[in-house]
Amino acid sequence: MTLKKKICMVGQFAVGKTSLVRRFVDQIYDDRYLATVGVKIDRKDISVGSSPLILMLWDLAGEDDLEQLKVSHLRGASGYIVVADGCRAASLAKAFELQKRIAEQVGELPFVLALNKADLREQWEIQAVPASGPGWTVFETSAKTGAGVQEMFAALAEKLLA
Amino acid sequence: MPTDGRDQPLAELRAILLGPDRAAWEAMRQRLDNPARRAEDVAGVLADAVRLRSRPHPDVTLRRALQPLLEEALQLSVQSNPRMLAEALFPIFGKAIRRAITAELDALLQSVSQTLEQSFSWRSLEWRWEALRTGKPYAEIVVLRSLLYRVEQVFLIHRGTGLLLQHASAKALPGANEKQLETRDPDMVSSMLTAIQDFVRDSVKEAEGENLETVRLGEISVVLAYGPDAILAGFVRGVAPSGLNRVFQENLDAIEQKTAEALHSFSGDTSEFASCRPRLEACLLGQGRQDQGASRSWSARALLFGLPAILILALIGWWIYSAALERRWTDYAHRLESEPGIVITHAEKRGSRFYISGLRDPMAADPAALLPANLPSAQADFHWEPYDSVAPQFALPREFASLKRELERRAFRFMTGSAEIPPEQNFLLEDVGAQILSLIQAGAALGQSVRIEVRGNHDPAGTEEFNAMLSRARAENVRSALIKLSVPADRLMALPEDRARETCSAVEEQERMFCRSASLRVIEAP
Repeated sequence: MTLKKKICMVGQFAVGKTSLVRRFVDQIYDDRYLATVGVKIDRKDISVGSSPLILMLWDLAGEDDLEQLKVSHLRGASGYIVVADGCRAASLAKAFELQKRIAEQVGELPFVLALNKADLREQWEIQAVPASGPGWTVFETSAKTGAGVQEMFAALAEKLLA
Repeated sequence: MPTDGRDQPLAELRAILLGPDRAAWEAMRQRLDNPARRAEDVAGVLADAVRLRSRPHPDVTLRRALQPLLEEALQLSVQSNPRMLAEALFPIFGKAIRRAITAELDALLQSVSQTLEQSFSWRSLEWRWEALRTGKPYAEIVVLRSLLYRVEQVFLIHRGTGLLLQHASAKALPGANEKQLETRDPDMVSSMLTAIQDFVRDSVKEAEGENLETVRLGEISVVLAYGPDAILAGFVRGVAPSGLNRVFQENLDAIEQKTAEALHSFSGDTSEFASCRPRLEACLLGQGRQDQGASRSWSARALLFGLPAILILALIGWWIYSAALERRWTDYAHRLESEPGIVITHAEKRGSRFYISGLRDPMAADPAALLPANLPSAQADFHWEPYDSVAPQFALPREFASLKRELERRAFRFMTGSAEIPPEQNFLLEDVGAQILSLIQAGAALGQSVRIEVRGNHDPAGTEEFNAMLSRARAENVRSALIKLSVPADRLMALPEDRARETCSAVEEQERMFCRSASLRVIEAP
């Protein structure tokens, strides 16, 4: 039995959500969708234990001062990934804020936090991830080198099936 | 009472041991016995209890238990105060009804214009005939035979998650040059469609709560039907007819009805929707029909235009053939006319038969034998009046034959026992001599060398020997007399009695006279 799950990628602009997806998935839509529709959809077939799982990854446009995250896109999602850029402390604050908003508006869903750009570790502004509460799983990832990417998605997948 | 004395310490002990609990028990008993208190207690936890039973996994038993109650409650509510429910439902129903009416009017308008467009076309006549023949409604035939569209992909999408539940695509058409709609992974298309819907809804304020109904891109359009929990989307090549939306909606309604539970509690397992596949396939209208339709339309066109064309060609062919036939008959009649001994007085074609009438010398050629091979003798009707042609080729033989006939009728008579030609037969002799000369002449004109046999005969009287001698002498005498009359000797042969002939057995003298004779026979040799 193959399960299908909808997963959303959220985070501040330019934290590397699209790059993370690009590193992970099998099939990719053109990035132009992200700019026009505000969402880009990709697919990844994985296995959790022995059960196959299809992840439909909704890469949502990054939030900045002008663009608000469209929470409607999170409707029906089974989980999400909050992405922050290790080099920008503000992006982590944004990540916390987004997580809170989603929990309020969509509900408590499994999620993981990805601290991206692990390849630039020496330039990081974030030295330690504050324990924001129970249920927080944090991964240091690098879309550039691929470090931590598979592990992060696998961890979320396991949470989805738990 | 004696027991009081015994029980007193026990009661005291009980009071010491269980005193505080007893008060609590008493309070609990009172709460349980008091329905008002119990109701209060349940009221406090009812909402939480219901929430607990419906989350995280929806509990069907609770819903089922509540269903009849809710139905009855609704019924009661409608009976007692219909206004309240009407007001509550108005915002939903009003909108839905308005939309349904608009959609119906649109469909009606489209069908009216289509009807006007198609009512008097050849195609519509063909479709009406097919409807009559197959007993299917005309509208269905129109949708089936509309060759302008083809549903190539159908997606059943879960409305909440945008995940693909089922997908069906039209089989590739035979003939590789046929374009087949290529889409990305159906799962991604399904999600993207949902995302685009969200995008449109977010972008246009008035569109909130509305559904994207059509998406068009060049010759591809997306037909969308919505249910409470699912969306049925079809990728259509060409111009989708108005009835197509209805087909999608009906199939989606059936799917929703069948899988309501599974749709509601959907958590990623799409295997439950495999049974919906036939419904999706039912939406693949025009499947393989573009090609089939092309050949159909080709055959229909062949029927519509080919049949009259064939008829016209056949008529032209027939006209050419009969003109040629008539021409051949006329040629034949001309040829007959130039044929000696044949005079055509009338020749005409009546229907498929050809009538020729006229005069024909019996010696003339047989007209039927003169028919050329390409004219069937069965079609010919001849009517000939016999006549004697004066043309030399008929006159000469006729004269020859008449001379011959006359000559062979002549006979010389003799006296009993005599071989002398009686003098009264001299006129006959001269006459015969002249006739023989004429015959020789006529025979020469016909390229025939004529010889005359002279045979002597006798009556039964007398001996055989004598009679033989007598008949030879009679023949010889006639021959000599004719030679004297300038008939060339080599043309005359004197022969004895013809043994093959029956011997003359006449008894009466009158008859015997005819036996004592010499007769002539004409021998023709080329």
